[in-house]
Amino acid sequence: MPVQKKIAITALVPPELIYACGDETFDVNNVIPESKKYPRNKLCAWTAIWQEMLSKREINIDSLIVVAGGDCHNALVDGQKVAMSGIPTHFFFYPFDGSAEYLESQLLKLRDFLGGIKSPEKPGEIRELKDLGLEIDKKRAQGKLSSSDAFRILISFSDLAGDLDKFRETISSVRETDIEINNRIALIGVPPIYHDFHDVSQSLGLHVVFDELPYEFIRHSGTDIHQIARDYCNYTFARPLDFRIKFLQKELQKRKVDGVVHYTQFACHHMLEDDIMRSNLDYPMLTIQGDLPGNTPEQIKLRLEAFREALERS
Amino acid sequence: MIGLDVGSTTAKKVSIEDGKIKYQITGTHNWKDLIAGIDGKDIISTGYFRNTVPHRASVTEITAAIYGVRHYFPDADVIVDIGGQDTKVIDVRKNNFIINDKCSAGTGAFLEFVANYFKIELTEMGSYHGRAKRIPAINNTCGVFALSEMISQLVAGYTQEEVIAGMHYAFARRISFMIPEAESLVLIGGTVKNKGMVSALSYILKKEVLVPDEPQIVNALGALKYYS
Ligand code: SF4
Repeated sequence: MPVQKKIAITALVPPELIYACGDETFDVNNVIPESKKYPRNKLCAWTAIWQEMLSKREINIDSLIVVAGGDCHNALVDGQKVAMSGIPTHFFFYPFDGSAEYLESQLLKLRDFLGGIKSPEKPGEIRELKDLGLEIDKKRAQGKLSSSDAFRILISFSDLAGDLDKFRETISSVRETDIEINNRIALIGVPPIYHDFHDVSQSLGLHVVFDELPYEFIRHSGTDIHQIARDYCNYTFARPLDFRIKFLQKELQKRKVDGVVHYTQFACHHMLEDDIMRSNLDYPMLTIQGDLPGNTPEQIKLRLEAFREALERS
Repeated sequence: MIGLDVGSTTAKKVSIEDGKIKYQITGTHNWKDLIAGIDGKDIISTGYFRNTVPHRASVTEITAAIYGVRHYFPDADVIVDIGGQDTKVIDVRKNNFIINDKCSAGTGAFLEFVANYFKIELTEMGSYHGRAKRIPAINNTCGVFALSEMISQLVAGYTQEEVIAGMHYAFARRISFMIPEAESLVLIGGTVKNKGMVSALSYILKKEVLVPDEPQIVNALGALKYYS
């Protein structure tokens, strides 16, 4: 039996293809919120920390896939540093214009980098898991799941926790509750770098019913490269802003949100989108900016609490 | 019932007796003196330590500021609360607020630093400013660099009064970046008792800025109003 390799990704790369090539996917971002590292050379802490951990071999991986088109330049530069440290690295580009043909050509190159399809049944299994993910997302919006339990699962869909069977068990172990939701919050932007953010928000009376990026992790799929290309070409974070905004407007309305929390990260270009989000999303909006991982800082808690008071006034 | 605002440097108590606002201000470390003989169920708290002190209900400084300012200026649309450790800009119309807490340059601590340098009281800064004949340009918005620029201006021959005025302008410029267009702009917080700083801000924003009679107790009053 061929050895399963551990393939790290820096942002969303269709895990369907990586698993189909017989490998295990590992999203490097998942270790950051719990990390206690203070990176030496940093802009965005997300990329700085994984760069350091990978270059110093504090995490063992076989190869790295850097999302070079459709993510950010911080990731691109830090990805090259990892490549220079000697880890086999592939650069993956999403099309800005959503061209499925272009994405298909990128997926074919990635397939070759990974050594070809070995387990063509995996994408089908992943589709079934993502259906469970959509179910979790829905239940949370109905108050049947705590927002942190749901977030923990949804965020793991980028790499399916490295093991489809184990992940299926994790999903089925989530316990349903009955929460009365007063303030329905959409969390847009990149995910918060604080590991307890959803719990903290909930304890302050803000119930996250929509996590923008994790939702992208569960809504795309495909059983072969042709289909994967035709679905993932609409990955909103890689597309122009008006595309993303239209999508958000629809989702926010569907989920009847009361307010939007725009999480941005220090030294991240997404901060520049704040005024555009504010003028295009017709909801009360709170913008917060995180930097280093850890617990949600007091000052951010104050903002969240004041936001809840504001929502309750309006 | 009282409103109690326990912040990072001072604690304030407000009550309304026979329609009149009564208040008391002390250092944060003495906050207990303010509530001697007062039952926790008669306290509405706000400020950084709102959840640490006894209270019947607590409210964030942001919401308290909105309620407190409304008492003095019902039409206020933007509130700037300049505290010792942070500065908050509250856009009342949009329910939006920005807080500068990563850098001391736009907070009361910056002016305190200047006062300490000249070994004068914070409360005297306004009158020093009033005596300035020229205003030196201090362009750095970073607190530490602005201080070294201030010293260069002293060496270049500007008087202490002029340099203090220059620092008020540097401070006001820093804060002005955070302030959105407003019809009615209100400043609160202990720092805004400094008339030099207020006039510098008004000059930079090219508009009148409103300051309540007792800008330091607005949040304690707001907490009380919020609950009643
Ligand atoms: S948070 Fe922003 S800067 Fe950091 S990796 Fe993500 S997109 Fe790049």
